[in-house]
Amino acid sequence: MTTQPNDIHPPQWPLRLLRFFLKKQYLEEIEGDMEECFRDNLEQLSPAKARRLYAWEAVKLLRPALLENFEFLRNLTQAAMFKNYFKISMRNMMKSPLSAFINVFGLSAAIGICVFGFAFGRWTYSTDQFHEHKHEVFLATFFADRDGSVQQFGRTPRPLGEMLRHDFAHIKKVCRLDDRNVVVKHDDNVFHERVRFVDPEFLDMFTFPLKWGTPGSLADVNSIVLSEEAAIKYFGETNPIGQNMVVIFGKNVNKAFKVTGVAAKFPVSRSFGFDFLVNFENLKTAEPGYDMQDWKAFVNATFVQLDNPADAALLRQGMEKYRRVQNEAVQKEWAITAFGLEPLATLHETSEDIRDDIAHSSESNYASIVYMAVVALMMLLLACFNYINIAIVSAAKRLKEIGIRKSIGAARSLVIIQFLTENIFITAFALVVGVALGTFLFIPWFEGLFDFSMGFKLNDPQLWIYLPAILLFTGILSGLYPAFYISKFQVVSILKGSVKFGQSNPLTKGLLVFQLILACVLVTGGITFTRNSDFLAKRSWGYEPARVVYAEVPDGAAFEQLNAALLQNPNVVSIAGSTHQLGKRHTTTVLHFPDREYEVDHYAVDANYFETMGLPFEAGRGFHHEEGSDKQAVVVNELMVKNMAWGNPIGETFKIDTVEYAVVGVLKNFHSYSFSRPLRPTIFSVAPKADFHYMSIKAQQGTELQTLKALQGQWAKLFPETPFEGGHQEDVWGFYFQEIGIHGKVWRAFATIAVLLASLGLYGLIKLNVAGRVKEFSIRKVLGAGAKHITMKIADQYVILFAVALALGAPVSYVLMKMVMNMAYAVHMPLDYSNVMIAVVILIFVLLTTVAAQIRKVVKANAVQGLKTE
Amino acid sequence: MKITKLGEFEELVLLTVAALQQEAYGVEIKRELESRLGEKLSVGSIQSALKRMEEKGFLTSEFGEATAKRGGKRKRIYSTTSYARKVLAEMREVRAGLWEAIPQLSPDLKMI
Repeated sequence: MTTQPNDIHPPQWPLRLLRFFLKKQYLEEIEGDMEECFRDNLEQLSPAKARRLYAWEAVKLLRPALLENFEFLRNLTQAAMFKNYFKISMRNMMKSPLSAFINVFGLSAAIGICVFGFAFGRWTYSTDQFHEHKHEVFLATFFADRDGSVQQFGRTPRPLGEMLRHDFAHIKKVCRLDDRNVVVKHDDNVFHERVRFVDPEFLDMFTFPLKWGTPGSLADVNSIVLSEEAAIKYFGETNPIGQNMVVIFGKNVNKAFKVTGVAAKFPVSRSFGFDFLVNFENLKTAEPGYDMQDWKAFVNATFVQLDNPADAALLRQGMEKYRRVQNEAVQKEWAITAFGLEPLATLHETSEDIRDDIAHSSESNYASIVYMAVVALMMLLLACFNYINIAIVSAAKRLKEIGIRKSIGAARSLVIIQFLTENIFITAFALVVGVALGTFLFIPWFEGLFDFSMGFKLNDPQLWIYLPAILLFTGILSGLYPAFYISKFQVVSILKGSVKFGQSNPLTKGLLVFQLILACVLVTGGITFTRNSDFLAKRSWGYEPARVVYAEVPDGAAFEQLNAALLQNPNVVSIAGSTHQLGKRHTTTVLHFPDREYEVDHYAVDANYFETMGLPFEAGRGFHHEEGSDKQAVVVNELMVKNMAWGNPIGETFKIDTVEYAVVGVLKNFHSYSFSRPLRPTIFSVAPKADFHYMSIKAQQGTELQTLKALQGQWAKLFPETPFEGGHQEDVWGFYFQEIGIHGKVWRAFATIAVLLASLGLYGLIKLNVAGRVKEFSIRKVLGAGAKHITMKIADQYVILFAVALALGAPVSYVLMKMVMNMAYAVHMPLDYSNVMIAVVILIFVLLTTVAAQIRKVVKANAVQGLKTE
Repeated sequence: MKITKLGEFEELVLLTVAALQQEAYGVEIKRELESRLGEKLSVGSIQSALKRMEEKGFLTSEFGEATAKRGGKRKRIYSTTSYARKVLAEMREVRAGLWEAIPQLSPDLKMI
């Protein structure tokens, strides 16, 4: 026999399993056998395989002949009883498949929506949580007073990062970060890109593992690190390490980089990532005059990593000394009040209130989570109420069973346990179906709408805490009342047949009313969101983007070349140049009044701009065409006039820096960015030709596409090196209208499910009710009752219920919708009762159809059959 | 006692125990049967058969020696009871009788 390596041991958990489950007197022998088999296997197989076999053998040892008879199981004489309960539950489900279907379908749809809500919540809350040092890394921020309110800014003065690195011993790492728009070129692939300039510590501080290459390579100023997406865009699936890429920073400024790293696919929920990373020092190459010591200038972000997160408060105090340096360097209006630090772990939440920071805020997602939780709860309630109603009404069928159970000795508590078991059984069944619905239907559908992935996984441990919680919640909510209600009847009166049961339980009516109110709210929501997206799509932007095409140009000279080439084109109505562009770019400027400072959006444009964009004047004039005129004139918008409370705005003055400007014209209000952003006070000033960055062209009606083609053609001729960047002005809002349309879709889906659940519940209720009164209706018919009479007999109790439910539901829906719309949109359709009215009409139609189907059956049924059946 | 109370697999295990004599403990029985049957058996199937037969009175057992290979755990040596040997013998006779009863047909006849 060969010597055994004694350091290889079988795994421990199967042994624990055996020790727990097997009879104690067998343990020694079986453990020995297992060990011996394991050693035998080791002689022929790999240790891993032997271990797997060992575990598998252990599982196979769990056989009835070897299992411990557990004491508590033996005490549970009810084991047989529970078996019986399950059998009865199964039989009941088989006997009334309709009720079973309504219950299971309703509960599983509701649970599906809960799973979907869970996935969304998980996705949102896991934002940035993949960063290993998320608690130690902080974003440096500063606070400044803006028109009376202190605001936090995510950018930092340029020298701050270096200063922090030198001045504080407990700072482990510092990473400055800045971005530039550039053109990146590799062979024939040339694209406009955004490059991130970072200190080499970036890849240590943030957990973006590399697929290829080494993180340390970023210390080399000639290396560039790509995201996976960027790598695929330029190099396909091949490993690009060592390849050359040319980055064109500006006119005649370019540099060749060597690819030294490609990041692995980023986690789905992150508040920031990158496309390209290069060493921070390259900023000096990109901008020849770049001054790292300039306190007046900013970088997009500075991150610090501390040894101990608790030092953050100390560091914040320590940073106080920079405030003076900073405030000496800048003008008064940019003076800051304090420096701050925001932890990376919560940046995705706080980002909403930090201006100009690099992180995407997930604030709107938090609102969505609340909506989803409310909707999911509503659906659960709808489904549970269906269950309760059906259980109460169908209890009549089971009176005999309960009577007999009680008379042969079942206490009330046992009957309650029986009904709860039955309920948990159905809920568990619904849970399985619901998880499948959520995973394979709702989540993929939603991800498809927004074209993203929530990274939902069924093996998420938190899901397996959440699901049993739902099971328990739903089980108790839906099962408790029926169980108590049904179990309380006295044996004698049941068996005597003197119990009047189920037909007119006030709770049933109450629940039905409540269900209808919920359905009304959700249907109103569906209608409001759908109509609102139509409304917004048709709403005027306040100018005429439809006929405008635009292009980004590198400078004034390029603008002139393009301008000269395009002026002959018969489709071109007018051409305007500007430094900024509506919907694309503006700057924020502080205006000085004698008594206050006031922050506005600022666009620098030429004289043609207003005409070209179709911006209508409320009063005054635009800029004069002569070169050099109107240098100190501004055009403002209506909102600015209103906020300033100017009686006659023309001629009002203020200072920007030290130069005085006078208002010469007032524009009507317009939406530069999407309707989700509130209007901002805005000024326009004259742009010097050299600063032109955009060309806007108004085309003849119907020739927009041709004009854009002509523009692109001229571009390719004049600047073959640089890719074209531009398009239809109507597209600058990008995804916005699609997104509104999706809101409508999601709400319609919710509303449809809600109506389906409510009407299914109602259908089941009426059907059971009618079924219990077959004899009564048959006798009425035999005695000569007509269709009208029967209809009234069935419908009267429901019609009153519907009336009450809708009378309550309509105002509730109206108020709730108003709240939701005001929270979700800065601008939305005027809300009146019309949406609620449409919802009510839809609901009445569905309800009457449901009732009518049953009535028709009763009226058509043969009375003799009804009397004969027992 | 009806001899049909002994299952087919149980009978095989019982015969193995009888054949192995002093060496009849769990793993050895498994090895012996595996080599004779030419297929893998699980510890569980052997153990549950042994325990069932012990309960039915076919087997008795006592602890044997402990070895290092077994992690210091003792073996349990099984031995057959006289009752078991009687049942096995009866079974063998029944089987032999049945074999005898099969008519000796010529293969040629079947071809027609």
